[in-house]
Amino acid sequence: MRWGLPALAALLLFYPFIFTGPFYWDIGVAFLLAAISASAWNIVGGYAGQVSVGHSMFFGVGAYTPLLFYHLWGLPPVAGVPAGMLVSLGLAVAIGMPTFRLRGHYFSMATIAVAELIRIFVGTWELVGAAIGLQGPAVGRAWWDLTFRSELPYYYIFLAALAVVLYTTFAVERSRFGYYLRAIKAGERAARSLGVPVRETKLKALMLSAVFTSLAGSLYSIKTGFIDPESGFGILVSVQMVIVAALGGAGALFGPLIGALILVPLQTATNTWFGGGGSGLTYILYGGIIVVLARFEPGGMHEWWQQRAAPFLTRRKHAA
Amino acid sequence: MLLAQVIVGGLLLGAIYALFSSGLTLIWGMMNFINFAHGEFVMLGMYVALLVVVWLGGGPEAFGFAAAFALFVLGVVVYLSLIRHVMRGPMLAQILSTFGLALLLRYTAFWIFSANFVSLPQVSLSGTLNVAGILMPVPQLVAGVAAIALTFALHLLLTRTTVGSQLLAVAEDRNAAMLMGIRPDRMQALAWGLAAGSAGIAGALMAVSYPWSPSVGETFGLTAFVVVTLGGFGSVPGAMYAGLIIGLIQALSAYWFGPIYKDIVVYALFVALLWLRPQGLMGKA
Amino acid sequence: MLLSAQNVSKAFGSFLAVRGADLAVAEGEIIGLIGPNGAGKSTFFNCLAGDTVPTTGRVLFDGVDLTRSSAETHARAGIGRTFQVPATFEDMTVLDNVMVGAFLRHRHRADARETALRIIEMTGLARQSAQRARSLGTPGRKRLEIARVLATGPRLMLLDEALAGLTPTELQQAIALVRRIHELGVTLVIVEHIMEVIMTLAQRVLVFNQGHVIAHGKPREIVANEAVIEAYLGRGHRRRREAP
Repeated sequence: MRWGLPALAALLLFYPFIFTGPFYWDIGVAFLLAAISASAWNIVGGYAGQVSVGHSMFFGVGAYTPLLFYHLWGLPPVAGVPAGMLVSLGLAVAIGMPTFRLRGHYFSMATIAVAELIRIFVGTWELVGAAIGLQGPAVGRAWWDLTFRSELPYYYIFLAALAVVLYTTFAVERSRFGYYLRAIKAGERAARSLGVPVRETKLKALMLSAVFTSLAGSLYSIKTGFIDPESGFGILVSVQMVIVAALGGAGALFGPLIGALILVPLQTATNTWFGGGGSGLTYILYGGIIVVLARFEPGGMHEWWQQRAAPFLTRRKHAA
Repeated sequence: MLLAQVIVGGLLLGAIYALFSSGLTLIWGMMNFINFAHGEFVMLGMYVALLVVVWLGGGPEAFGFAAAFALFVLGVVVYLSLIRHVMRGPMLAQILSTFGLALLLRYTAFWIFSANFVSLPQVSLSGTLNVAGILMPVPQLVAGVAAIALTFALHLLLTRTTVGSQLLAVAEDRNAAMLMGIRPDRMQALAWGLAAGSAGIAGALMAVSYPWSPSVGETFGLTAFVVVTLGGFGSVPGAMYAGLIIGLIQALSAYWFGPIYKDIVVYALFVALLWLRPQGLMGKA
Repeated sequence: MLLSAQNVSKAFGSFLAVRGADLAVAEGEIIGLIGPNGAGKSTFFNCLAGDTVPTTGRVLFDGVDLTRSSAETHARAGIGRTFQVPATFEDMTVLDNVMVGAFLRHRHRADARETALRIIEMTGLARQSAQRARSLGTPGRKRLEIARVLATGPRLMLLDEALAGLTPTELQQAIALVRRIHELGVTLVIVEHIMEVIMTLAQRVLVFNQGHVIAHGKPREIVANEAVIEAYLGRGHRRRREAP
């Protein structure tokens, strides 16, 4: 797919000029955000196979800190981004260290429990806005407040972030760390017997994933100018990340992109068709998609393409 | 004495936690599989109870049996159509399967029943007992006692009957069990039926005293995770004790810190458990 | 002594899978480990490889006490092992499988790749290097496991029935491969049921039954040993041999 990557890059770069106007730009931004968070999840959930179903904890932390920095100290929200990453790192260690020496299920259970714990707690904590949440600057005081009227600047900021996440994932894929991640997913016991430092590697993956997920959260709250416990730490945030990555292809570099490409327009469509009560049906659909994926094609569209579709199209592969 | 009342109330609710968690730990011990939709099984049990009372005018026995039966069937169906297949696959598929199922069940329930909280219309049991100054509402008392009895019955089923020993044999060593002529597939399907059924009946028991909505499944599921971790991998007696302990801790947390904190403390306890004693009460170090 | 196991026992609940087993392997030896199924050989291997912590006893490698160390530590120290039921990384290619092994000795992808390719060549897997491990048959998977662990540059390899289920030709190739590995300086402990393998490769043989070593000596001696025959084949066989 030599021509594929530059074509993709060009498409993403020029999308806002091909599909102009707030409606399309909105979808574009939503797509990018979904792709960034899912790609972040993919590092630990897809590559290492450690399924976190509470990744919203990192997203929420990253979303809250910028607006908190603004709310408490009047600082530009951007200043809160590193703090979000730091706290997320701490959370990753707090959860990863005990659970990565146990069976995989403990990790998954812990992620969902901690995300809920934080969501409830933040909802009671006055300092961070309790149930009401926090708001960002309504009108920007200077450019660094990043309050733009139009979606366009956000689109390019998000695109840059996506590029960073994807490039990091790509670099990881080719490194020893990346091979070790895949080995752990493919067979922990065998990996150990080959000297793979399993617990350490899983922890590093979770930490890396946490940092990027935190970034995604920060981008979200800076753009929206608002965050509350549900939109930051809610389970649906976690679900979104998981389904986008899994549908597209967990453990594949472009899996999350494919997933976002399918799900973001789908979500926009179902919300329009089903109206106000639509979100309920959307999540029934999501649940169904996840079950079908698990049952028939856990590798997602990427795997389906590689195993079923691609061999038909490239006759050479049949020789194997 | 208010504190004593809180304690009793906590234990009675904890008994119900014990009941539905014992099913979860049974499956976990047998198949090394965590059912992320277990809370939804409880939630569905509550709605079955509601439907039986409202449509069929059934009494307590009726809705209890109905919930147990309906969920037993659901458990077996879920096992045969989904779980059996993902067991052979990667961890991602295993976890996503019941996680997705949970979403499916929860949001379907939201769609059918709406997000409003409902409760069971007044049933035949009512009133409050006064034992040594402690007020115990009869429905809660009966539900709690029934829950403990059922959990104990499940334990007896597993340890004293032929079927039970077959279930445990599969849990212990699948291959050895097969050599003895036991069919693991059947036993696992049965285990799922029992687990779902006990979750269902626990839901029905809870419906007697507490209002609910489809959202409660999420909380019950998490509570079950904490209970089975505290109880120890695969241990039904462990789940029994742990359920009571968690119910108690929850009630005390609500009493001392405020109702919002009842879940926070339990989840925080979970994390502490993972750090300090992941094998729980009955597990091996 | 490169590897020494002293009075190793492993209990699972009340069941004692390994009871007071001893082993002493000098550098450069090829030791055979035989015994009926369920005798505890694989569990013993797991103790030697760090996969399980023995209930009692010690495992020393090159003088270092590795008894309580993890499998990763064992691997880093230079003990490699294969699994009775092949545990290859199914969805990864043959090359990637071997590279995971190679990364133990190399930091960089290019170096790991080079080592992996060399070993793939040596083990006869070159044609399948771009295929997923899943598409190989059991013999292929066993060979891949050997290649993968060889890439970690071990000083000692524990092969658990690595030559089972092969056709006569494949078996000869496998035996030749094991010889080549030995020539590279790797010490070997081999669990096998196939007598030909033991007779041709092993310098010394240990016989396991019911969790401990019941006999120990040169291959020829072992094959004639009464206790060994009885353990494997039951009393009936002994009577058959005695009849004219």
